[in-house]
Amino acid sequence: MNSLKEYFYTDWEAMTATDWFGTILTVVVFLLMVGLYAYVLRPKNKEKFESRKYIPLDDEPTNSGENNGG
Amino acid sequence: MEAAAEQKYNYDVVRWFTVMAVVYLVVGATVGVYIASELAWPVLNFDIPYITFGRLRPLHTNAVIFAFGGCALMATAFYSVQRTCGVRLWSDKLAWFTFWGWNLIIVSAVITLPLGLTESKEYAELEWPIDIAIAVVWLSYMFNFVMTIANRKTSHIYVSNWFFLGMMIMITYLHVVNSLAIPVGMFKSYALFSGVQDAMIQWWWGHNAVGFYLTAGFLGIMYYFVPKQAQRPVYSYRLSVIHFWALMFGYVWLGAHHLQYTALPDWTGSLGAAVSLAMIIPSWGGAVNGMMTLSGAWDKLRTDYILRFLIISLAFYAMSTFEGPVMSIKTVNALSHYTDWTIGHVHSGALGWVAMVAIGAIYHMMTRVFHVELWSVKLVNAHFWTATIGTVVYIVAMWVSGIMQGLMWRAYDEYGTLAYTFAESVEAMHPYYAMRAVGGAIFLLGAVIMLFNILMTVAKASSEGSIQRARTAAATA
Repeated sequence: MNSLKEYFYTDWEAMTATDWFGTILTVVVFLLMVGLYAYVLRPKNKEKFESRKYIPLDDEPTNSGENNGG
Repeated sequence: MEAAAEQKYNYDVVRWFTVMAVVYLVVGATVGVYIASELAWPVLNFDIPYITFGRLRPLHTNAVIFAFGGCALMATAFYSVQRTCGVRLWSDKLAWFTFWGWNLIIVSAVITLPLGLTESKEYAELEWPIDIAIAVVWLSYMFNFVMTIANRKTSHIYVSNWFFLGMMIMITYLHVVNSLAIPVGMFKSYALFSGVQDAMIQWWWGHNAVGFYLTAGFLGIMYYFVPKQAQRPVYSYRLSVIHFWALMFGYVWLGAHHLQYTALPDWTGSLGAAVSLAMIIPSWGGAVNGMMTLSGAWDKLRTDYILRFLIISLAFYAMSTFEGPVMSIKTVNALSHYTDWTIGHVHSGALGWVAMVAIGAIYHMMTRVFHVELWSVKLVNAHFWTATIGTVVYIVAMWVSGIMQGLMWRAYDEYGTLAYTFAESVEAMHPYYAMRAVGGAIFLLGAVIMLFNILMTVAKASSEGSIQRARTAAATA
């Protein structure tokens, strides 16, 4: 590898249909993930998400985790 | 509350999976200590083919990953999905099918692997009829889990269930593709893939078994049991959502970093390493999220030994998920690959993260599903220290041994010839192999203590009739 340009060189002519399918799908999924992060981290949505963290605690009102075991 | 839960939920199958997980932990660790001892003292082979390292090593990995890990995942997933969804398992019969099917597969592994019946694919050694059985039983586990979620009483699906479900879907896909083979007899088959494609598929499976089975599944355990044991909600639910999606997107790219400097195209290894490094961010985000759940209540660690297991597992998780990406970098990989450093890395994740978080969850569940306090809390503390010390001794031995191996193999003298023969490097490893066996034995001692404590707790529940009492109380309430 002599340069970054050489390293990232792509022979676009050699791309098969499978290559294009995989490339496009990956980019689309990545963009969807970025969109999801923006949605999750939007301050307006904070309360909506954080209210769900109490789900595991709601089924057991008593404080029984002290001193190990029980 | 727990009496009502006994009536409402299927705890029977959870109880069996829980106890069997501990039994398999002892079995798997015992085989591990034995083969570690064989490497230090080869006389232990006794010239008996069935107990040589080559045959027992896959038995060890299958026992700890699929027998112990599988039973722990099935127990915790079936337990937490019922409680977070507020409904009983969709099908009791299907749950029992999963239990007996999974245990039958484990028995098959115990018989076939020492006999040398293997596909020779790492972490997927079992022959084709057993592979088909694994797919069927795994799908029964997933189907019951999905249908339980579909029947839920809550509007939201709690994040632990997302992690469990991500694991179930991906492992189905990975297991089926990696196991594609042409059978040539009842116990012999050849992989459908060959050459470098076979290697790529093998490590696509191999690293994703780590990523989805040993990480995503056990993160499902973490996101339910850490808040439960700490009696505090997870530090940030938003962070858990990001952790989940980043993990699902990122992990599938990493397999190629196992094949640096091989016939695999160079760019695939670089891509694997680059995404591996990026994965430090969500992994550490998740570890911090779990640890910060204790924010403002760190004092609980003084008295709550189960919480200690859960929190130290997160420390090991953070450590392993930093070490792994560093080892995937080509320059580091040139030193670390094929050495014991890899074994040290795997065990810091396996003993420190996977086993510890599962052990914490199992102790937590024991008191809930058997309706009694643990037989001995002091033994839980003893187990904690033996497990931690054993793990540290093991991984330190392998780190030193691995780096030494790498340096010895690449050392040249002034004439450009190798400075050491391979046999000299093997001889230099001996003290560390002995130290590894000792570390493993200390960890095993902890596992035996746990099994004793668990069995005594079961006996206590039986003599007190606590399960029956819970059933009766719920019925008359």
